[in-house]
Amino acid sequence: MTPELVHQPQADHGEGHLTGEQFGELLSRPAEAVGAETTPAEVHLQTCEACATELASLRGVITLFRDASKAYAEEELRGIRPFELPRRRVFQHAFVQATWLVAAAMFLVALLPLQVLRRHAARTQAALASAAASVTTNTAQSDEALLDDVNREVSSSVPDSMQALDDPSDDATVADSESSNATSNQGKD
Amino acid sequence: MVHEEVQMFPTMGLTLGSEERETPLDDLGNVVALYQPRVFRFLLATLRDRDAAETLTQETFLRAWSARDSFREDCSLATWLIRIALNLARDHTRTGRFRFWKRVSGSAVDVAEVAALVSTRECTAEERLIAQQQVANVWQTVAKLSSRQRSIFLLRFIEEMEIPEIAEITGLPLGTVKSHLYRALAIIREEHNYAEQSAKPHAIAHNRTSENATTKETQ
Repeated sequence: MTPELVHQPQADHGEGHLTGEQFGELLSRPAEAVGAETTPAEVHLQTCEACATELASLRGVITLFRDASKAYAEEELRGIRPFELPRRRVFQHAFVQATWLVAAAMFLVALLPLQVLRRHAARTQAALASAAASVTTNTAQSDEALLDDVNREVSSSVPDSMQALDDPSDDATVADSESSNATSNQGKD
Repeated sequence: MVHEEVQMFPTMGLTLGSEERETPLDDLGNVVALYQPRVFRFLLATLRDRDAAETLTQETFLRAWSARDSFREDCSLATWLIRIALNLARDHTRTGRFRFWKRVSGSAVDVAEVAALVSTRECTAEERLIAQQQVANVWQTVAKLSSRQRSIFLLRFIEEMEIPEIAEITGLPLGTVKSHLYRALAIIREEHNYAEQSAKPHAIAHNRTSENATTKETQ
């Protein structure tokens, strides 16, 4: 609704009354402030009884409305429960902190056995590695001995061409020759 | 983490870490004691529902406390709190649920209860009744205003805030605030004049006639 639609009883008295905007301006100023300035609206108020009466009446009604509203709110305020939400929030804040602490503690507790297991595994691995290393060393030593033997055999002096071979299986050869000699002798007989 | 140095809320025994920036909201007990009546009154007049006003009052302080680090003290604490309350009320009234519960709720404010608390300075019972009727009329007219007009009217005439302060709270330009306020006043003036003319009590009319006669005589 616009100010133009406002019902103005003073309009019957003729033109030159306060406009809706002027009324609004005067009403929205503190009562003590009205009269302190010499605006056209205030000058008009001093001469127009109808406008002055209406302004005073409106001002009075608004004051009554304010006082009644304040009194009612005060009465209702006595019945409302005490303010408690911040306490809950602070508690929640502390609760969140405590939750984090508990979670961290649980994490550490869960982590500890893992660390112990990991250390144990590391020790076992180290023992296995050292054993494997010793095995490897022994194998290498035996390989070297074998190679030395081979080298020794290969580098031994070669016999002369007419020299009888130093046959490791001499006994077998002697036995064979003896048996062949015996066979030939039997044939001669 | 619990810090070693702590501040205590005097009335609530609440603690806060000291490493945070100090704000007026840190002393929440005092802030609530100082501003709760004002915030509640504004919300009650705006929402006209005591349960909703109570809930939103608590929510206002909770929000303020949660966002206390963002309070730069470029306005007064009252202005800041009312701004939060206004935003909460605006959000709250937008919901259909609020409208439904307001219709059926037993906590809705009865205009007669408000009018019954009219100041007892009136001399006669008749004048007191007239005053009560006038207050009830204004209360009902305020309900007809648009939400913006109503907020501005209540901030100006119940909370008695200055127009620049209202502009700061509502985030509207000064001219827009004035425009809404004048429109609200025009509607109230119209309703007031209409009610006065249609149900002008005989006694008041008689009094005014005699007053007018006295004035004429003096002139």
